[in-house]
Amino acid sequence: MSFIVPEERKVAQGVVIPSPVGENTDMITSNWRSQRPYMKDLDKCDMCRNCYIFCPDGCWTVDEENEVVIWNAKYCKGCLVCVTECTEKALDVADELDFDDGVVRLEKSF
Amino acid sequence: MAKEFTYSGCAASAQACAMAKVEVICSYPIRPYTAIMMELVKMIHNGELDAEFVHGEGEHAQFSVVIGASASGARALTGTSGVGMTYAMEVLSPIAGGRYPLQAAVADRALDPPGDFGSEHTDVMTARDQGWIIGWAETPQEVFDNHLINYRVGEDENVMLPQFVCQDGYFVSHIPGKVSVPEQSQVDEFLPPYKPHNPLNPKAPYIHAPQIKPNQGPVIDLQRAQAHLNTPKVIRQAVGEYNQIMGREYSPFLEEYRCEDAEMVIFIMGGHARTCRFAVDALRQKGVKIGMVKIRFVRPWPTDEVAECLSKFKAVGVVETSTSYGGAMKGGNLLHEVRASLYDLPVRPLTTSFMAGLGGEVVSLQGFNYVAETLTKAIAANKVNKYVQWIGFEPDWHEFVEAGG
Repeated sequence: MSFIVPEERKVAQGVVIPSPVGENTDMITSNWRSQRPYMKDLDKCDMCRNCYIFCPDGCWTVDEENEVVIWNAKYCKGCLVCVTECTEKALDVADELDFDDGVVRLEKSF
Repeated sequence: MAKEFTYSGCAASAQACAMAKVEVICSYPIRPYTAIMMELVKMIHNGELDAEFVHGEGEHAQFSVVIGASASGARALTGTSGVGMTYAMEVLSPIAGGRYPLQAAVADRALDPPGDFGSEHTDVMTARDQGWIIGWAETPQEVFDNHLINYRVGEDENVMLPQFVCQDGYFVSHIPGKVSVPEQSQVDEFLPPYKPHNPLNPKAPYIHAPQIKPNQGPVIDLQRAQAHLNTPKVIRQAVGEYNQIMGREYSPFLEEYRCEDAEMVIFIMGGHARTCRFAVDALRQKGVKIGMVKIRFVRPWPTDEVAECLSKFKAVGVVETSTSYGGAMKGGNLLHEVRASLYDLPVRPLTTSFMAGLGGEVVSLQGFNYVAETLTKAIAANKVNKYVQWIGFEPDWHEFVEAGG
């Protein structure tokens, strides 16, 4: 028996693929987020890095030079553990509907 | 020169895996397979085997650890029995789908309830749809040989599938038998080192088992299915070479015993085939034209071989040794596969099945005699009365016993 797999649907054996080493832009996983964390008060942030440490999806990175934490919307599922763990209450929660790029407004899932 | 030893099935397993030069072993204790790990850890302690031995925190962990080992390029071994098998269930599909050709040595055991130590094939048969290569051995010798054959087949570039190398708990795993052990050089000739595809490597990073998109799912399943379609040819080739190098006479899939001129056969797998041979001999002495067909691999199922082999007979009695509650044949698993294999034949033999050997019960000579009696009646009437007979519990079983059968 032989099969024909269209070119665009081919995948490597066992889906063992070269690592993108960083973000996997082929797999955006934020489309079911209904709320997101945002930096409500930058003055309160003391760079404790709890958001960076606790995020299960590695969505917070630390900009050492400018002393800020940066949120990556592409992989945040809105679990909000960063907001819970924020010691200085610098982070807060906002509804996705409040943003023009809110995932609830996406036409395509990913 | 090969040397002969007396090994239990478990000791034969350990010896074979050591000679296959396994590199990572992950264990967790559960009877009866534990004895395999006990033998292996002794070899490591005595400096006879150079392998990493990891104590898993449970069967789920065991099967997860060997994924990592296999992904990093090691020839990996784990194993379990009974409910350990079902506890590991979640990890079985990722192993097969990720195409890690690791091996699990299983000395089978009944599932709960109740806590039963006895042999039964249901544990691994429950996992038959996950993409593993699965086969049973009849003797410690066959256990030894199957480990080597399975590593060779599983690691073939056209296969890359994990393998369950199964033996009946206690009946095979704990009863010693003669085992001819080849020279290491013969094993090395037969079994080249494992060549992983894109192993884990910090200098050239690969992702194993990433998240995929829904439309990629069918393609991965198709790959696994294709691997199973490729496997029979590889098994035939590997068994052929094994026979040549080691001086054995294995048939790749089906072994026929006293089937010349047989009208009926008992279709069976695993350790109970040993008793079945004695039963066939005794029945032959009484003039019953009976033989035995033993199947060595249930995954991939040798559809064409089963059809060709069984088409020669008038009646086939399948001894199940596993359960499939509510299934089409109301009994075990094998009759489903046997009947499906025969469906396209212009003339089909009569087929029925016998639930026997569950929970560690011995399939006795009397049990096999009952199979022969039932098949004889079926041939005379040219039909079978039932899909399945529960040996020991059928009304005509009691009549058969009272009549001195």
